[in-house]
Amino acid sequence: MSKQSQKRPNWGLSHGELVWRQFTKSWLNVACLIFVAFLLLLAVFAPFLASDRPFIIFTRHSPAGIMAGKSGGQVDGRWHFPLLENLQPTDYCIFLAAFVGFLWLFAGYRRQNTEFRILSPVCCLLYIGLGSVLILATSGRHKLDATDYKALVASGKAANAIFPPVPYGYDRTDLKLCRQPPSRRHWLGTDDVGADVLCRLIHGSRISLSVGFVAVGISTVIGIIVGAILGYFGGKVDFIGMRIVEAIMAIPVFFLIITIVAFFPRSIFNTMIIIGITSWTGSARFIRAEFLKLRQQDFVQAAISLVLPLRSILFRHMLPNAIAPVLVNATFGISSAIFTEAALSFLGFGVAPPTPSWGQMLSLGVSPSGRFVWWLALFPGLAIFLTVMAYNLAGEGLRDAVDPRRMQKSNIKYQNLS
Amino acid sequence: MTTYILRRVLLMIPTLLGITIVVFAISRIAPGDPVSFSMGTSGQMDAQQAGGIRAARMKLYGLDKPVCVQYASWLGHVVRLDFGDSIKHRRKVSELIKERLPVTLTLNLIALVIVYAISLPVGILAAVKHGRFFDRASSVILLMLWSLPVMWVGQMLIGYFTGPFSPATFGQGLPPAQVRGLTWFPPAGLSSNYAEQLPFLPWLADRLWHLVLPVLCLTYTGFAYLAKQVRAAMLDNLGMDYVRTARAKGLSEPTVILRHAFRNSIIPLITIMATLLPAMFAGSVIVEKIFSIPGMGLLAFEAVTNRDYNVVMAVATIAGVLNLIGLLLGDIAYAIADPRISFDRAV
Repeated sequence: MSKQSQKRPNWGLSHGELVWRQFTKSWLNVACLIFVAFLLLLAVFAPFLASDRPFIIFTRHSPAGIMAGKSGGQVDGRWHFPLLENLQPTDYCIFLAAFVGFLWLFAGYRRQNTEFRILSPVCCLLYIGLGSVLILATSGRHKLDATDYKALVASGKAANAIFPPVPYGYDRTDLKLCRQPPSRRHWLGTDDVGADVLCRLIHGSRISLSVGFVAVGISTVIGIIVGAILGYFGGKVDFIGMRIVEAIMAIPVFFLIITIVAFFPRSIFNTMIIIGITSWTGSARFIRAEFLKLRQQDFVQAAISLVLPLRSILFRHMLPNAIAPVLVNATFGISSAIFTEAALSFLGFGVAPPTPSWGQMLSLGVSPSGRFVWWLALFPGLAIFLTVMAYNLAGEGLRDAVDPRRMQKSNIKYQNLS
Repeated sequence: MTTYILRRVLLMIPTLLGITIVVFAISRIAPGDPVSFSMGTSGQMDAQQAGGIRAARMKLYGLDKPVCVQYASWLGHVVRLDFGDSIKHRRKVSELIKERLPVTLTLNLIALVIVYAISLPVGILAAVKHGRFFDRASSVILLMLWSLPVMWVGQMLIGYFTGPFSPATFGQGLPPAQVRGLTWFPPAGLSSNYAEQLPFLPWLADRLWHLVLPVLCLTYTGFAYLAKQVRAAMLDNLGMDYVRTARAKGLSEPTVILRHAFRNSIIPLITIMATLLPAMFAGSVIVEKIFSIPGMGLLAFEAVTNRDYNVVMAVATIAGVLNLIGLLLGDIAYAIADPRISFDRAV
């Protein structure tokens, strides 16, 4: 959409702005956007919202070495900032990316300025970095600081501690507290190892959203490249390419995904890539159809006759005019990817256990003995449902806004796991 | 038509080969093997003895040969419809499949029939009442159903509808062992104990009683999806000139909608069936896992978690064949429903 807006004529509104106006006309769409923004904020600021380390703590002077933590754990009569001191590289990357994303949205709103042009590739790079670092951190995350700050406060060794709103760690287990129903201490109850459900839900949003964005990013990029080549060249290339795409569509995708995820070591990285490389056929077909139509138009013929490089014709001249159905498809793709990730975690193929994920939490809803624990089934399921629904509603709204004739064509793929 | 079908069937072969090669490669490249998985449960023994047994078993299952040779020999056997032995179940894979496939097919076919039976009227009605209350309400409800995660619905159904059949204890989530007497629905399996000794009608009733919750789980998403498509297809057709003509002729409204508009809306719905079937197969992995139904989905899940190579390959092949047959049937039905489409000339 950005490319399009850069070439905006001075009069009237760009296509992007028209779509935006149409999109925000419905309060439901706006509500979905707000919900997604809320989820993003939740994911970005998860450590500040839910952690068992206080923002700030004052430890009274007492013999050193009693609380031998690696950092911030000494009881030495000074102020400490355990939460900030224990932020992981992941967290810093996420904050940086979120900050740049914020700039991208607001500072780059008037798309004419040059800063925006410099910022946007940097932003893309940062987001790619964010994904990869997230993977590194979630795969082998270990706790640096094992100090029990609440015990410190309770035993009077420390005073003036300010804890986050949900003062529990997502990997802090306490078997004495296992499967506690929702109460004033644990708003959404505790799970089977005594971890706080609300805290794990907040941290779990990171996994869901990152899988959604990265997987759809991968599939959309592959889909755009393949679809652009097929649609632009047409003829034999198109015929052979489409046969291959059809063959790929006949692959039992969900079975392939569970095979790969089960056979290789558990990591969120695998899940993202596999969902990404198995779901590009939809966007490839839409892009191809658009390119077949655009190929005949004058501006494309003009670009060809100017002997512009192929890259320029495909991605600078044609793509901005064909991006709308891909964006719609990507919105549905995100909900589908979140869904698939939840299903995989539910079956036990998701991220490794201490890292929270919604699907894995949901699977605890019926205990091995068959007891139904309603708060373990209800809340994670509700989180998945609301997120998926927000993306689906936003996708529908976007589709209607892109195509004002409200032609409700079936340009969405069957969502559940196909 | 015949040449078209022939060509499609011939095109299926490389696709199937591709699917099996990919799955075969994944299973062999990945770390771990079924022998060590099955030996994990065989108690203590000294290292040398274990190594000997390991080598012997690897040789027995042919896992000591190069991957290409393994694939070629697997392919050679599959052509003769021999999928080998399951390492976990210690039985022939073809026997296992013969047991499990009908279960999944029954489940999915029942679900498919219900999906069409509900979504056609709902979709048609929503299109007819376009923009009115029914249309808006149904589209919101359908979108909600469409977004409901199957595993959540399954868990909640187990939680609330498998307990004792009395309102007093509704939703208490007792473990099945503690439940006495009549229950709402059974939480797991396909039939009660000793159900095979019942006469046919009670047996059927018992089987249906067990199928209610799983079929419900498999149905609602497809129903939501299909109803949206029916509505879209009907809306397209209701705006056409021939519908106005039919109305101008003075035909009754049901005739206009059902005989004129609906018949033309069927065509896109046929292709959707081809996409619905594989998706339902995928959904049945989750549903069968939740409700412990011994079907293909559960077999696939167990095979994948136990590295049961032969079963994994067999499931991949069969799922691929089913997918391809679904797509082919969809295309053929498409040509039958719409005489304008002729595959012999095109392509």
